[in-house]
Amino acid sequence: MKALQKLLATLDVKIKEGPFKIVHPMFGAINTMLFTPGHGTTTGPHIRDSIDMKRFMGIVIFALVPSILVGSYNVGAQAGIEGLFAAFMFGFLKLLPIIVVTYAVGLGWEMIFGHINGHDIHEGFLVTGILLPLTLPPTIPLWQVAVAVSFGTVIGKEVFGGTGMNLLNPALTARAFLFFTYPGNISGDSVWVAVDGFTGATPLAAAAASTGPAVDALNTAGFTLNNMFFGFIPGSIGETSTIAILIGAAILLITGVGSWRIMLATVVGAYGMALIVQFFGADVVGGMRSLPAHYHLLMGGFMFGAVFMATDPVSAAGTNAGKWVYGILIGVMVILIRVFNPAYPEGMMLAILFGNVFSPLIDHFVVQANIKRRLNYGK
Amino acid sequence: MGVFKLKKGYDIPLQGIAERRLEKAPKTTSVAVQPIDFRGLRPAMKVEAGDTVSRGSILFVDKQNPEILFRSPAAGTVREVVRGERRAIQRVIIDVSSDSAESFDKYTAEQVKVLVASQAKEILLNSGLWPTLRQRPFSKIAALDASPKSIFISAMDSAPLQAETDMLLEGQEKSFQLGIHMLSKLTEGKINLSVSARTKAFFSTISGVELHEFSGPHPAGNVGVQIHHIDRIQAGEKVWYLSPRHVAQIGNFLMTGEYPGSKTYALTGSELEKRHYVAGVEGALVRDLVDAELDKKTQRVISGNVLTGAKSSSLGYVGFYDDMITIVPELEGRRFFGWLRLGLNANSFWPIFLSKLTPKKKLAPTTDMNGEERAFVSTGKYEKVVPMDVLPVHLCKAILVEDIELMEQLGIYEVGPEDLALCSYICPSKIEFGDIILKGIETMEKEG
Repeated sequence: MKALQKLLATLDVKIKEGPFKIVHPMFGAINTMLFTPGHGTTTGPHIRDSIDMKRFMGIVIFALVPSILVGSYNVGAQAGIEGLFAAFMFGFLKLLPIIVVTYAVGLGWEMIFGHINGHDIHEGFLVTGILLPLTLPPTIPLWQVAVAVSFGTVIGKEVFGGTGMNLLNPALTARAFLFFTYPGNISGDSVWVAVDGFTGATPLAAAAASTGPAVDALNTAGFTLNNMFFGFIPGSIGETSTIAILIGAAILLITGVGSWRIMLATVVGAYGMALIVQFFGADVVGGMRSLPAHYHLLMGGFMFGAVFMATDPVSAAGTNAGKWVYGILIGVMVILIRVFNPAYPEGMMLAILFGNVFSPLIDHFVVQANIKRRLNYGK
Repeated sequence: MGVFKLKKGYDIPLQGIAERRLEKAPKTTSVAVQPIDFRGLRPAMKVEAGDTVSRGSILFVDKQNPEILFRSPAAGTVREVVRGERRAIQRVIIDVSSDSAESFDKYTAEQVKVLVASQAKEILLNSGLWPTLRQRPFSKIAALDASPKSIFISAMDSAPLQAETDMLLEGQEKSFQLGIHMLSKLTEGKINLSVSARTKAFFSTISGVELHEFSGPHPAGNVGVQIHHIDRIQAGEKVWYLSPRHVAQIGNFLMTGEYPGSKTYALTGSELEKRHYVAGVEGALVRDLVDAELDKKTQRVISGNVLTGAKSSSLGYVGFYDDMITIVPELEGRRFFGWLRLGLNANSFWPIFLSKLTPKKKLAPTTDMNGEERAFVSTGKYEKVVPMDVLPVHLCKAILVEDIELMEQLGIYEVGPEDLALCSYICPSKIEFGDIILKGIETMEKEG
């Protein structure tokens, strides 16, 4: 261990001063991943909490593992692969190249900007690099992934000043980029199952297209509540299994890494809005408006978005009161988009980006309320 | 009597609290009075190396307000006037050799009660104990020009390994009461004395104060937090605060007619074997109080508590406002895959290590930063350790962009660096909230 530390220390100096100093941000990240940075405090507090960003982001990745496992299996199962392991391996081998491309391209950009700004690669990208692949269909062309990651990292994050300064969630920015530039590869009926020429609608599309009661249409297509809860339905790789996402949510909540306020508010907002829609749509036959409220929570990217995307601590509202408003806003928006925008049955991505855009404004009002309380004190 | 039950905050479970046992300091070889203990002070020296001084001799005065005197806590010879960067005076070291003392007028309680404000102020200035009075906003020696809205005394220390007020004041009830009589001459408003369930008994007979009881985790004992709950500072207002030990010191001065140089400290920290209270002298040398060999490489000596104290050494001197010495282990080096560890002994506010399963277990963390500085992340956790209606992240951002108006609106006048110390402690991005607040206070002083 001592020898390895010594080697790293020598390399650190050599890389920093050598011709390859552009890779130093990457080296720095690997160096501090292997061994803690080993910096001591100089002023008070003389002792510090054992948490750091590596631990923090590591927990998020850990929480994504169930979605990766079940999602991979489901990609295989949807493609008609028999056997648990075979189906998993089939799916995993679809997912892995997407993750590799995301990391390679994304870390490349991070390295360039780290070099320009003089810091190591920040841990945030490790999460972004897993989140994005999980929101994509298994058939996505890899070159499109590369372009999207570039867009998400550079335009979504670095132009704002890097991690911590970005307005929008970088993973969703990348996904939105794909959605609007190459809609044929990320929406419709033909992209969700990793078998050429095979079409399979997602439950959301099936519900939207239904002419009779939406639940009947879903059941006919095999989308029972059970299947949707466990995730054996066509959809983006990591978004289909509600149970896997809920396990991840539990990890985020127990460790305090994810905001329970945002998760709860998003669910409350969506369920509430869906109930309202259901109430006023009691006489509607067919389409999204005939869908019972609780179905919305299990369909599409809702749960994945509520647990992993909306809670991104950088692009979400920063104040505790603001988080409630932000979450409810996202929940309401997703239902409105799903129900009243016939062109686009899935609404979670846009709803969260919408929430991201509004979060500074939401925080502004919370801060103003704090200022007002201070001014009015004693009056 | 106001009762305040604070929920927010955090008590770091640390090894090394001092036993409730008072011992005499092993020796007193030298003492120091340190201008660096007083934020923003520019001293004008009145002694030089080689001068003989008595207890109570003037060592230096405040250049801007020459009425503010700093007197020697012990008698002997001035060894050195230590200067730092740009020749700024850091400390005046005195080799202790005798116990001669300057004498002043004595006052009984009855005599103090009939004093008028200007007389009381004059006596206090002359005593050399004016620097015990500090003001909010700005956390510095109380300005001479205005009288405060009210005076606050926190008779409860909630900081890690706290020095307990009743131990520091043992046997000084009378002096404390006399000090209160004196302080009451200096404000039209109230003297707010905050106690905890533990220190309540000691102060139960004290008159002339508004008694408040606070409970809850740190920083419930911080005077800034108490001011926030009892009587918040508005724009343009000023309050004074001082420690209960200093109240007793003022009373002592009046009673004895001498500068009271004695002071009790708590010796704490996991690196100390013998932990107890020790009766020494103000501005004591760490090595005189601690009966142990200390190793600079493996042990961190802190004057004050582990959150807000100043880095010192066995040859350092305890700060004017500090009541304790804390000694913790120094950083050990780099740990293999530290971020992946299970953390049975990892100190953390976050439920993110296994140590959370044994919340009662006391730990002995080192001075490891446990990470590197990163961007602000709004985790919602900072608010959990600040029991005030203040938005720590937004306030700090306002300070960083030097938006004076916003800083004022978000409560820069209400906080001191110590009130947000726990934010720095729990921060996964390792942001120095205390430094930022200090910067904000300095900006406001300059611009306001």
